[in-house]
Amino acid sequence: MREVYVVGIGITSFSRLEYPLVEIAGYPAMMALKDAGLSSVDHVYVANMGAGRLNKQTGLASAVVDHLALTPAGAEAIENGPASGASAIKQGYMAVASGLHDTVLVTGAERMRAANSLETTDFVATLTHPLAEYIYGVTLPSLAGMFTRLYMDKYGVTSRHLSMVAVKAHANAMLNPFAHLHELITMDGIEDGPDAGTNNPMVADPLRFYDCCPVSDGGACLILATGEVAKKLKKPMVRLAGVGQATDTHAVHERKDPTEVTAVRLAAQQAFGMAGFKPSQVDVAELHDAFTILEIVESEEAGFFKKGEGHKALEKGLTKIGGQIPINTSGGLKAKGHPVGATGVGQAHEIVLQLRGEAGARQVKGAKRGFTCNFGGFGNNVVCLAFQREG
Amino acid sequence: MEIYGYQCSKCGHINYPNRTLCGKCKNNAFVPVPLPKAGKLLTFTRLSTLPGDFDVPEMTLGIVELSNGVRVTGQVEIPKPKMGMAVESTVQVVRKDEYNKYYGMVFRAK
Ligand SMILES: [Zn+2]
Repeated sequence: MREVYVVGIGITSFSRLEYPLVEIAGYPAMMALKDAGLSSVDHVYVANMGAGRLNKQTGLASAVVDHLALTPAGAEAIENGPASGASAIKQGYMAVASGLHDTVLVTGAERMRAANSLETTDFVATLTHPLAEYIYGVTLPSLAGMFTRLYMDKYGVTSRHLSMVAVKAHANAMLNPFAHLHELITMDGIEDGPDAGTNNPMVADPLRFYDCCPVSDGGACLILATGEVAKKLKKPMVRLAGVGQATDTHAVHERKDPTEVTAVRLAAQQAFGMAGFKPSQVDVAELHDAFTILEIVESEEAGFFKKGEGHKALEKGLTKIGGQIPINTSGGLKAKGHPVGATGVGQAHEIVLQLRGEAGARQVKGAKRGFTCNFGGFGNNVVCLAFQREG
Repeated sequence: MEIYGYQCSKCGHINYPNRTLCGKCKNNAFVPVPLPKAGKLLTFTRLSTLPGDFDVPEMTLGIVELSNGVRVTGQVEIPKPKMGMAVESTVQVVRKDEYNKYYGMVFRAK
């Protein structure tokens, strides 16, 4: 297999965007082409989950490739729920590594706020098992709520720990001009103070409002290429060094131990195995914190901390910028936002920015190795990526 | 009315929900068996943002381990549920949309 490098990146603000989905996919792609210094690519992947239902548009890849004047390059859309983004990057990796293509553009885009919130809640809930979960009113927040209750009981995680994740995410997002939420929150405001109950009401107990990510529009793009192409383009050399993916039972209740997210562990092990480095050597990571509990759990399953100790590491500040392993420097899904199909590309964008040394006020000094975890469904389809700066 | 599990004719594992191949041994023949009514509430959540088909402000959902060890997800009608408590199900309409009624398990304290 050939080695694969990231040669161009681009992103939109994650927020409410008042322009068509094809432009949400197109704008970051235009920026990434400019960043790379390329005017054409061999192939295009578009990561998206909701176009057919929320935006009444199918065949999105054909629309995007034309919008970018990249025809006649081949183009496909990749739908893998909230893990669509990293899945599309994985497809791009395979295309370049295999020798099929030399340059591949991967753009993720979602326009969720075009629909009302009842419709969006139902749309995301269609990820759950149709007969064993969905019909009961099961949504992603409810699965996360039931999971959190078990996790608290087993490992001593408390609401305070969850709020610490949210406070850290919002603080990091203040340093990211593209983040959805620019709202500084405090432990006093959402946990300890007299107004905390009003500010932070229950959503799916024990999860509260500030434990859940916002509904965002947004797009992000990565251009992948061979080492030969990358050297000519003269951007900092960031290699996509490892990809991993694993699945789990569709219905959450069927898992042997419902407090384990086995697919994260397996996908991370694959990505690290391929990259040839260990979790302890990672300088910066983006984890899929659609709910605050997930940052804690994924930090354990990915191998940064022992099982049941993620919340203790958080308490010690090890996951802050300047800590041992800064997590979600972008603000994470919690505060940067979660345009579902685009999220995995957005995570990779942040890691590449960090490894290039271009992350500005939130830069992790000297970051050389990065990791992303993109979590689909409620842990039933997980894609992890490992990146390494060279030279 | 009953909700059925799908017992593998080869290894005896009860698959719920059903699947094309047995989750334990990959066999493809099953015998439908009614799921027991009684079980233990493993976890739950009180949900206050519901999809459009539900016209109630809040609803409790839970995962229950039934007396034969099979786990299921269902609605919970218990004012103050506790992890580990004994529960019992009835099968009733759990969701309605424009065209259909869907039947499923609702758990109450035993
Ligand atoms: Zn079997």
